[in-house]
Amino acid sequence: MRTFLLLISVVSLGLLAGCGGSGSSTPKGVPTGGTANVQPIAVNGGPVAGVIYPDGAFIDVTICNPGTTTCQTIDGILVDTGSFGLRILSSAITLTGLQTLTSGSSTLYNCINFADGSYLWGTATVADVQMANELGSSATIQVIADPTGFAIPTECSNGGIDEDNQAALGANGILGIGPEPVDCGEACDPNFNGGVPPVPSPYYLCTTTCAATSVVTSQQVVNPVVLFATDNNGTIVQLPALSGAAASESGSLIFGIGTQTNNQVPSSALIFALDQANGDTFSTTYKGQLLTNSFIDSGSNGIFFPDTTIPVCTDNPSFYCPTSLLSLSAVNTETVSVTGATGTVNFGIDNADNLFAEGGGADAAFSTLGGPNAGGGFDYGLPFFYNRSVFTSIDGQAVPSNTPAAPWWAY
Amino acid sequence: MTTSKQHEMARGSAWAKVAGIALIAFGLGLPAFAALGGDVSSVQTDQAYMKASIKTTAGQAYTLHEIKTPMGTVVHEFVSADGRVFAIAWHGPFMPPMQQLLGSYFQQFSAGVQAHHAGPVRHGPLNIQEAGLVVQSSGHPRGYFGRAYVPAMLPQGVTPDQLR
Repeated sequence: MRTFLLLISVVSLGLLAGCGGSGSSTPKGVPTGGTANVQPIAVNGGPVAGVIYPDGAFIDVTICNPGTTTCQTIDGILVDTGSFGLRILSSAITLTGLQTLTSGSSTLYNCINFADGSYLWGTATVADVQMANELGSSATIQVIADPTGFAIPTECSNGGIDEDNQAALGANGILGIGPEPVDCGEACDPNFNGGVPPVPSPYYLCTTTCAATSVVTSQQVVNPVVLFATDNNGTIVQLPALSGAAASESGSLIFGIGTQTNNQVPSSALIFALDQANGDTFSTTYKGQLLTNSFIDSGSNGIFFPDTTIPVCTDNPSFYCPTSLLSLSAVNTETVSVTGATGTVNFGIDNADNLFAEGGGADAAFSTLGGPNAGGGFDYGLPFFYNRSVFTSIDGQAVPSNTPAAPWWAY
Repeated sequence: MTTSKQHEMARGSAWAKVAGIALIAFGLGLPAFAALGGDVSSVQTDQAYMKASIKTTAGQAYTLHEIKTPMGTVVHEFVSADGRVFAIAWHGPFMPPMQQLLGSYFQQFSAGVQAHHAGPVRHGPLNIQEAGLVVQSSGHPRGYFGRAYVPAMLPQGVTPDQLR
């Protein structure tokens, strides 16, 4: 099982010069390239023609052949503070020349499972990643595509849904900028796991068949932010205030924390050091119940929490359908005791059926969309981000002296 | 209780018993058979499949088998007094192997996932709430939480909230 991967002919010249926008198509009012450390984002329904992705924040990402200015800007990439690494549909990539990681005659594949049963399968491929004026050199990304000549291992599919196309994914890719630097870490690294991959494994070496494998951390699918020369310790996701629903909302993804004048942590911010032993979580008290499995996830398209008194929609039981708008509150606290942060979050939950129907069915941004999370804590999805700056600091990165060691969330 | 007896005759549990015996005889990790709905020997099959350690704690209403992998995935298998796995709960950095753990309920789970994705929900929690199977899955990559149980098999006095 122990495997040493060869990185194919990647020479990073460390140059960043005007990556071209070849291959980008005209999106639905999508952001274009940003400046300095700010890349625009938009809650705009996503890139799928004729289909609205409710409460998804989308961004343009530029990928380049490493060390070159041969690049492609791809729109419709979902901004996801709940995962790690850049994943792009192969069908959205027109750039040629990207190299995959290999070992001998085998190709390295990556698998990611989401808690909802969906999964993504694709090669571990090396690209330079550019957003705003930031360059992440030689990042391992996942290029999503079904394999030819062999089947996706059942260990990966795990009974779930293969989101290998734009319609299923609702996006051209996912930008995972959560509080960890790579998608697996020591559990997949042969220097730490004794050469025994996890079961199920995120990495496989495949020829005509696949075998689970270990991959050194430096070659795992990486949160591209940590590869930036500066502004590499985290991000801020900003969205404007929203009351109810709107056709679209525009905001910003700001790189770095405390590294520029525009990314300072305000003294008023609540900083929640994360419980790393429990999946980078904090705790939430809701209606007298202490829930320890809480997290902030821009890639979830609602606020999901357990409350059996709120009816779910009959046609769509993943969302709540109260008869009228509910004004609710929850109290977030650290599970670990580092900053002692605690604060009340006021939020609304409205009838999802009505929200989707109002505005002639053309709205894509909803501040009061939510649903049940029967088994767990609070999943603070995209509606939480309206009228907030949400800071995500990345594990292992240096942070400002007036903040605790990463990882943490602050808002 | 009637439902419980029906499950006892499920093909998966018979295979699990065979697999369990073979496991002891040869000390090998063999192909997987039913965990949820299966008998207690299927817990050992799951443990071998996941290359994990196990700790067993006997309680009044059920016995808890804690399967823990070296890399942090924890699976709790709840076994009733009559020796049936009636619930599974998990937390950790990876989704657990659902086919292995759900056994004969795996197809029903898979169909439930398909139904869930028919709607506009994206990458939120999964709630499969059917008469014969409940699956609740939340979290995100590197931090998953969930449970699966067969409502009719819950021992008297055991509530879903205890299944963690």
